[in-house]
Amino acid sequence: MTHPPSIKAMVQAVPRSLGSYGPVLQEIEIALQSPQCNLSTIGDAIQKDPDLTARLLRLANSPFFGFANRLSTVAEAVSLLGIQQIQDMIVASSVLEQFKGVPDKFVNKDSFWRHSLAVGITARLLAMERRLPKPDKFFVAGLLHDVGRLVLLSQATEWAQAVFEEYQRKRILLRDAEKTILGYDHQQIAAELLQSWSYPPVLVQAVAFHHTPAQSVAKLEAAVVHVADHLVNAMGLGSSGEQFIPPLDEKAWAVLGLGPEVLARMLEAVDEQILAVEEAFLKNGRAQ
Amino acid sequence: MVVARDIKNIDGMLLAPSGCQLSERQIGILQAWGVLEVEVEAGEELARAHDPLAQLPPETLARITADLRARYWEPDGFGPVPAEIFKLMLLRQAQRILQPPV
Repeated sequence: MTHPPSIKAMVQAVPRSLGSYGPVLQEIEIALQSPQCNLSTIGDAIQKDPDLTARLLRLANSPFFGFANRLSTVAEAVSLLGIQQIQDMIVASSVLEQFKGVPDKFVNKDSFWRHSLAVGITARLLAMERRLPKPDKFFVAGLLHDVGRLVLLSQATEWAQAVFEEYQRKRILLRDAEKTILGYDHQQIAAELLQSWSYPPVLVQAVAFHHTPAQSVAKLEAAVVHVADHLVNAMGLGSSGEQFIPPLDEKAWAVLGLGPEVLARMLEAVDEQILAVEEAFLKNGRAQ
Repeated sequence: MVVARDIKNIDGMLLAPSGCQLSERQIGILQAWGVLEVEVEAGEELARAHDPLAQLPPETLARITADLRARYWEPDGFGPVPAEIFKLMLLRQAQRILQPPV
């Protein structure tokens, strides 16, 4: 081990495929381009995948979406949730699947995804509280905020080991150990990965600066993910390898423009949603 | 207990003003006059009964506070929002101890 791998090299080594969800997403894309496209065409494309159908209905009927009536068909789910939201959920599932082979040696994958899903839920709730447009985008940003760690673990295991040894030896923040050993951190890896996947620039910014939101050009979006990450770390819902609760940037909280009275309500909602979301994304599925 | 709203009889005559401290004897007299309900201010005891932190033995509260502080990277000099989050996390922990999840 002489020089750490470049971020670009690691990201290029990550398979670009959307895994087993690829055909469904492709079929939805094709259907959307057709002038005859309607909700039932989209529903039909999804229903060809029974596992995806079950997950989608489970999530659609969970407290995460909070519909009063039970949704029993995919077409109903598509009409109420919207096509963009369904695509976001499928892409999120495909990312979980993509990293299923990452070894559990340094980070327990169940715990990693629990943390990531909880940050996604909290970021979405903060965005809803702040009345930001498309709050579901924040679920994806929260879900993927630490994905850079998985890239490091899967593409440069020896360097990941050196980072974790430094972290344990010096009892410093994991991000600081990354910077000491690699010269960069998981935020930068995630930003490169999401850029290579052509994710919207705002989402890339929110992930790339979730520890340092003041440095982002999308300060509000980065602040949402930063605050969500702090809350979830404090709640102890899973872990992406960091054992400490990193500090909250109070300026980021000020950017959100929310009063502290929303916090208790927010924590309650996260507790209410996490089990259902975990069940929809993680249980007995392709991500394991 | 302290009266929260004036106590009047059915003719509107004031029996006890708000803010007045009621003794056991006065409560008995009010009952004899046919007063079935009075509004009283929530006392410290009642507030304590609804505060999970106040229900914990002091040594348990000290332990969970120390455990939570140990998880923070910068446990000192909290601003108002991190302090509120810290308090909520303590409450969460206290509720788990008092009512463990089934």
